[in-house]
Amino acid sequence: MTTSSIDQQTNVYRKMLSAAICSICLGNGFDTIEKDALATLVELLQCFLSQLSLLSRNYCELAGRSEPLVADILLGFIDMGIDFSSFDDYIKSAKYPHLPPIIVQQPPKQPNMLTTGVKQTLPQYIPSYLPEFPVPHAYIRTPTHRQPIIDYESALTKFLAKTAPSTHKLFDTEDINTFPLIACQPNYPPYLSSLLPQDQIFDPEELEYDAKVETETVEHKKPGERRTEDVKIEKIEEEEQIQDIKTEENHSPNNFIDNPYLAAIKFSNSEEMDIS
Amino acid sequence: MSQQPEKMEEDQLELTLGQPLSDFLMQLEDYHPTIPDAVTGNILRSSGFEPKDPRLLRLISIAAQKFISDIANDALHHCRARTNNSSSSSSKSNKGTKDRRYCLTMEDLTPALAELGITIRKPQYYV
Repeated sequence: MTTSSIDQQTNVYRKMLSAAICSICLGNGFDTIEKDALATLVELLQCFLSQLSLLSRNYCELAGRSEPLVADILLGFIDMGIDFSSFDDYIKSAKYPHLPPIIVQQPPKQPNMLTTGVKQTLPQYIPSYLPEFPVPHAYIRTPTHRQPIIDYESALTKFLAKTAPSTHKLFDTEDINTFPLIACQPNYPPYLSSLLPQDQIFDPEELEYDAKVETETVEHKKPGERRTEDVKIEKIEEEEQIQDIKTEENHSPNNFIDNPYLAAIKFSNSEEMDIS
Repeated sequence: MSQQPEKMEEDQLELTLGQPLSDFLMQLEDYHPTIPDAVTGNILRSSGFEPKDPRLLRLISIAAQKFISDIANDALHHCRARTNNSSSSSSKSNKGTKDRRYCLTMEDLTPALAELGITIRKPQYYV
């Protein structure tokens, strides 16, 4: 036990003693008590108790016993000059409020660890009394950061639809904002975008996943629902890049992350609605 | 030879004193002193004294309670005497003595403890 916790404990007992003294003083007709006077009385009370217990223990041990009897305490009373014949009347006359009983505080419960992965069983050559293997992420590499969601496309198309110099209307109504169609604007050198480097590629695995999902969605779509030509070109670029990276990282096929915090992203259908 | 009957009487007296004590201990079973048993037990344990019978703990608690109570009573008398003196000397019109609030101060506590042979000195400095 550390010294601070011992101090804290004695402080608790001294607090209880001061509470008891306060209740005694209230019972005697006082309304308030000075801080100094209370501290003095606490000191006196503690001293009284320890002195009495020391004397009683001495008498107990003098008699060759380790279990104290009433007689030992009475001899202690006599030694300290306390008249114990008046106790009977005292407890009948004195009515002080009871203090609430001391409740031992329960230590806060440690929250359970979140388990991930499957624990490995001990190999046969290790005896069963040895400790088990820890959770796999404790000794096998686990990615701890989440890949940033690169969801610029839908936002970008929305932005373009609002700000592009030429937008068509799907229906012949006055309201342009309901179903805007971005007009195709071919760039001057059409091959330029494929030569420019792409930024924000954090993890090839993530990009691969994204591309897979998106290509699937693209395949499902009817040709009439296709977006602008620019987006199409971007897609092809991405796929090309992924293939390049794939050839580099082909030797590490374990791309399944067993971490509940890093679950795969779910694409909602509403997103597709926004794009189209 | 003439002192022998007196001694016998003393023995008798002590015997009769012992009898109510056991009754008194029985009363302690269901009496709860103001100082909680746990607090008394802890202080006694820190002095190496560990009675297993809770009645003994309560006996000690009552002794301590009475000790403090006697001091408080003495201090109250001092307080009353002091306030009465000061009020009678300063103004006689103030007659609200019954609902006066009493505060236990060092001024009253010091003479009360002096009667028990405990002298209190003001600390030279506060930490």
